[in-house]
Amino acid sequence: MAVDWQLAAFLVLSVLEIGGSIMVVTTRKLVHAVFWLALTLVTIGGIYLVLQAEFVFLIQILVYAGAVPVLFLFGIMLTRRKIMEEVPAAEIPQTPAAPTPGEELP
Amino acid sequence: MSGALVSPDLFTLCKVLITGIMKIQSDAILASAPVGSPVEPLRGIAYFLMEDWFLTFNAWMIAITIMVTWAAAIQLLTLMWMERKFYSRLQDRYGIMISIWSLPFWPFSWWAKRKNKPTHKGLGYLQNVADGVKLLQKENITPATADSAMFHTAPVLIASSTVMIFAALPFSEGFVIANVPMSLLFILAAFSLAPLGILIAGWSSNNKYTLIGGMRAAAQLMAYEIPLLLAVVAVLMYAGSLNVIDIVHKQELPLAMAGPIPIPSWNVFSIPQFIGFAVFATAMMAEMERIPFDIPEAEAELVEGWLTEYSGMRFGLVFGFKWLRALAGSALVVILYFGGWSGPVFLTLAPSVGSTVVPIPIIPHEVWFLIKVYLLYLVFVWVSWSVPRVRIDQILNIGWKRLIPLSLLAILLAAGLAAFGPALGGVR
Repeated sequence: MAVDWQLAAFLVLSVLEIGGSIMVVTTRKLVHAVFWLALTLVTIGGIYLVLQAEFVFLIQILVYAGAVPVLFLFGIMLTRRKIMEEVPAAEIPQTPAAPTPGEELP
Repeated sequence: MSGALVSPDLFTLCKVLITGIMKIQSDAILASAPVGSPVEPLRGIAYFLMEDWFLTFNAWMIAITIMVTWAAAIQLLTLMWMERKFYSRLQDRYGIMISIWSLPFWPFSWWAKRKNKPTHKGLGYLQNVADGVKLLQKENITPATADSAMFHTAPVLIASSTVMIFAALPFSEGFVIANVPMSLLFILAAFSLAPLGILIAGWSSNNKYTLIGGMRAAAQLMAYEIPLLLAVVAVLMYAGSLNVIDIVHKQELPLAMAGPIPIPSWNVFSIPQFIGFAVFATAMMAEMERIPFDIPEAEAELVEGWLTEYSGMRFGLVFGFKWLRALAGSALVVILYFGGWSGPVFLTLAPSVGSTVVPIPIIPHEVWFLIKVYLLYLVFVWVSWSVPRVRIDQILNIGWKRLIPLSLLAILLAAGLAAFGPALGGVR
């Protein structure tokens, strides 16, 4: 049985691309959205490769994979969301207070 | 006449090897399962083993395995060992000296005691293996508030994009997995994927040190990628091809004769390319995060920068693959500016197989390439252990205000000389 590998690669890549682009607009965390965007752009590059446009594929990787970190930076810096997740004070395990030196001595 | 050991091609050699192995197995099966015997259906396996797509698939797998073992195990260990020995000597000490006789179990300890060998007076080549084993034994800690999925994805991104470089990076005209028409662009594209992984690693650890380290890494790597690519454009003006093997072949021609010895026309011997070489080497040091440009992991300020929260072998992966990127960077500088693997090859030893004479190179191209790469890497190590660290604003100033204008000047001169150089009497 002859398998159409080009069609198979195209289907896998396009499923990844569509799934990634849906995740870009539905995910709650902005930084995750940027990560999914990177996946989407790279799989679009893969589709260019399936279409035998190697130069466009390489430029897609070089330009867009380079541009995504910048977007990432702006996503972190220009949004109001807290950058880092703080642990609530109640969840931090309380270490027992160290005994003061004077107490232990007889 | 080729002066490379791996010739004509790594894939062709692997195909010959796997075809031989499979032929022996297939013949053995055919001989042990003759027609009419109860095990006759086994002959189907024999025919399957000799099918062309099966042999091709296995040949590719073997070629990839050879390349990854060669680059990510042998060359990585050698580079780490060379760096540790060399900077120890710069600091007036011996450096790592653990030899195989220092191993505390049977054949080695027994032999060392019997032969009265000093256990700590070796070359220390296996020290990095011991460090790797230690990292494997350590616990893999994921911080409680880290973004677990991205924290685990980042090392994979960094490692896989680094290994991808070696799909197209040649060690000689034959020792390469895929000789594609635009391999230089592919190498640079794979090189430029790592900043995303570094930024993700820095952000997902949920630690202020790693976040600052990731931000600095992004700012620095993005800024230095531009002069890197612009300096490459100046090389392309001379070479006229995006294939690294073509670029090396262009540099093999003799430029002038110094008595009987021909001076090769390496790119670094021409005026615009020398400027480009200075820009490219500086930018490559920044891309490797070596010391004058290592603020993303400045250990005096930021614990360990963007990889602070990684532990165990995950730390070993992201930390060790920096050397692999350094190997790729040095190899790229050698390919673009120092004539790659070209060098005097003495094809004198010629045993004859049957009626054909097979010339064996005394110093094959692979050895020339490795000599050049190691020497260049030692220069990088020398610089990085001799100069102080540069501040972040100074790094960005050097990148945007010095290197980019210089690389543009190199492009301008290279374009002019590529067009009018022959008319001016062969100026280059």
